[in-house]
Amino acid sequence: MPRIYIAAITIALTVFIIAVYMVTYCGGGYRILVATTTSLYDTGLLDKLLDEFKSEEPGITVVFIPVGSGEALRMAASGDIDIVLSHAPSMERGYMERGILYRQAIIAYSSFAIVGPRDDPASIRGLDPIDAFARIYTVGVEGGASFVSRGDQSGTHLRELSLWKLTGLNPGGSWYIESGLSMSKTLLFANEKHAYTLTDLSTYMLLRSQGRIDLEVLVANHSLLFNIYSAYLVNPGIIGGYRYSYAEKFFGFLSSSRGQGIISEYTVSGIHIFNPASGYEDKLLEVWMELSKLQ
Amino acid sequence: MEVIDISIRTIAISSIASLLASTWSIPLSYALSGSKGRYAIVVREFFNATIGIPTVLIGLMVYLAFSRSGPLGYLNILYTPQAVILGQSILVTPLLVVLFTDIFREYRSRYWELALTLGATERQAALMIVREAGFDMITAYLLSFARAVGELGVALLVGGNIKGYTRVLSTAIALEIERGRFEDAFTLGLILLLIVVLTNIVVRVLWRRIR
Repeated sequence: MPRIYIAAITIALTVFIIAVYMVTYCGGGYRILVATTTSLYDTGLLDKLLDEFKSEEPGITVVFIPVGSGEALRMAASGDIDIVLSHAPSMERGYMERGILYRQAIIAYSSFAIVGPRDDPASIRGLDPIDAFARIYTVGVEGGASFVSRGDQSGTHLRELSLWKLTGLNPGGSWYIESGLSMSKTLLFANEKHAYTLTDLSTYMLLRSQGRIDLEVLVANHSLLFNIYSAYLVNPGIIGGYRYSYAEKFFGFLSSSRGQGIISEYTVSGIHIFNPASGYEDKLLEVWMELSKLQ
Repeated sequence: MEVIDISIRTIAISSIASLLASTWSIPLSYALSGSKGRYAIVVREFFNATIGIPTVLIGLMVYLAFSRSGPLGYLNILYTPQAVILGQSILVTPLLVVLFTDIFREYRSRYWELALTLGATERQAALMIVREAGFDMITAYLLSFARAVGELGVALLVGGNIKGYTRVLSTAIALEIERGRFEDAFTLGLILLLIVVLTNIVVRVLWRRIR
């Protein structure tokens, strides 16, 4: 065999082994898997929280898997993750009752908002959310407005469905578009279509501050639009006591004063986008209970 | 820098995946190329039909298999690069089998009889075909690598887009779009393109040299 072959094969093998090692190295220590709603992740808040946690517990690696709340809860049920960060009270309640979610801590809150084009064809500005939805429906059926729905069982989508249920109307037809996309993409879509949509305020502000969308907040600040983010530990009976004991540390950190401090200080383009739960836990739990009863 | 880190990881994961897929695709294709039986045709047609299989479908299958509630859950490899490698290797297998089978068939018709009449054993003839077909096989490998590098479904579903661990270029692009940073997403896209083009050129040139 010529020398060059041997050299080439040796080099290739070395590179290969280094690559395998590099790729499979996970930072050492124990690994906690956290499935999170995208709004917390996309805004960059979780990376910030993680930096602080790392300095406290260097032996634990926390990894985030950004998905919709519906998917996050499904993943908890199959035991693939240790902690869920979610904002879908009505769905979370079901999972708690089934014993899949073991402990809850409300960590932050913000608001949902109905956003739409500046000229507001359905004139919903300043209405309460139920009236606003009813007007969008009426004008939509006449062909004067359209509404983009996430259609993906995310926390935002579930809230949207609850609001429609409260109006007693059943949206459908060409004015009601189910995008099946994430929040950012749905906002961009609604922006292109001059349509209304329901969004969490943080994702909206993230895109708005970057000048990606012209949509305006038309309805917000209503108890039905309260957006509560909770952390859940998955039942140790599902994930095992060993994983649970590690997960508990990050879970505790989220509601600790350091964790809450980071949430309150976190800004995007100078705007505070999440409010820490600290100090309002009882009140928030009350609101959460009310929201969890929404259909 | 994170971009470099992500790029290296992307190349490593996808090249290992294609290599892994080759380890079972080459013998299978070699067997298929020599057989004209009914089963060989069925198998070949199966791989032909599944070349364009949606990546999310493979991702979902791998997810369900490796989920803790799935049959292989005890391996505990969901949301690791290994899972992505396995998923991508399944994804590119049909492509590799079809390409390799065509290549082997062509070289077989050209060299098989010749080698045997010149007194080679069947084993030697087979090795000769594989050696002669080397350049075409590398081209096929690069095609499968390009498909693996560019796919999003598997990497997102079974890798989870974990920063510094399973984040590859395609999932990083998806995330930057989510975050509204289109310029960054576009830059990453260009890097992805560059990787595919450069690996093609480098490997082809190197191979010519070695021969």
